[in-house]
Amino acid sequence: MNRKEFLNELNKQLKNVPTEEKEEVLYDYNEHFDIGLKEGRTEEDIINSLGSIKTIAKEINANYMINIASKSNNAGDIFRAILATFGLGFFNLVFVLGPFIGVCGALFGLFIGGAAIVVSGIALIFGSFLQPLLPQFIYIPVNTFSAVFAGIGIIALGLLWIIGIVYVTKIFFKFTTKYLKANYNIIENRRGVDENSI
Amino acid sequence: MNIQFKKGVLELCVLSLLVNKDRYGYELVNEISEKISISEGTIYPLLRRLKAEGYVTTYLKESQSGPPRKYYRLTDTGIEMVSTLKDEWFNFTKGVHELLNREDLNE
Repeated sequence: MNRKEFLNELNKQLKNVPTEEKEEVLYDYNEHFDIGLKEGRTEEDIINSLGSIKTIAKEINANYMINIASKSNNAGDIFRAILATFGLGFFNLVFVLGPFIGVCGALFGLFIGGAAIVVSGIALIFGSFLQPLLPQFIYIPVNTFSAVFAGIGIIALGLLWIIGIVYVTKIFFKFTTKYLKANYNIIENRRGVDENSI
Repeated sequence: MNIQFKKGVLELCVLSLLVNKDRYGYELVNEISEKISISEGTIYPLLRRLKAEGYVTTYLKESQSGPPRKYYRLTDTGIEMVSTLKDEWFNFTKGVHELLNREDLNE
C-alpha cells in the first residue's frame, strides 16, 4: 500500500463524517506523511507505524457521533450518528436504526394526522360559507355560525395535537442521543470527563 | 496490553507532553512511541477529541523545512486535567506496586 491508497482508504471509511471534519483529519495524516518522508522514511514504513486504518476510522467516527449528535436535535444528524456507530457494532444497525426509523415514521404519521385535523377544520369553515353558493356539492347539516365555531375548535385541536407531537419528537431525539452515547461508552469503555473510575 | 487501559494512559501522556512545550502531531507521535509501543495512527483522533473537549487548541506555524505544521497547545482546562490525571496515575500505580510487592514477599 502506498500513501495515496492509505489516504483514499481512510477517506472511504470516513464517508459518514461531514466533509469539513474529514478534510481536517486527512490534513493531519498528510502532514504526518510529509514530515516522515522529509526525514527520509519510506511511505511503507510510515504506513506500517500508523497501524490499522479501520481502527483510526472507528475512533474518528465514534468521536463525531459523540460530539455532533449530542448537540443536534434533527433526525438527519442523529441518523448519521447511528450510521457512524456501525463501526462499533452490527447491534446498532438492527436494534437501533430499525426501531429509530420506525418511530420516526410513526411520529411523522401522527404529525400528518394533526395537519389533517387542522385542514378539516379549515374545510368546515370554508365549506359552511360556500354552501349557499354550491348546495349540490357541500352539505353541512348545521347553521353557518355553529359550523364556523366548530371549525375553529377543530383547527385548535389539530394545532394542539401538532404541538404535542413536536414535543414528543424532541424528547425522542434527545433520548436517542443519550442512548447512543451510553451505547458507545459501554462498548468502548472510554474515560469520560465526569467518570470517577478509570 | 489491554487496549482500553492504554487509551486512558495515552491521553495522560499526550497532555503532559504539552505542559512545557507546544508540539505538532508528528513530534508527539515520535516522543510517545519512543517510550511505549502504540498504534501511532490513533494519536491524531485522540488529539481531535482533546481539542473538541477543550483541553487543547491548535495553531499553524511555518517551519523552515517544509509545509506549515499544526501545533497543539494546552488550554487552562487542559492544564487542570493534566494535574488531575497525573495524581490519579501516581496513586493508581503506587497502589498496584504495593500489591505486587506484597505478593512477591509472600512467595
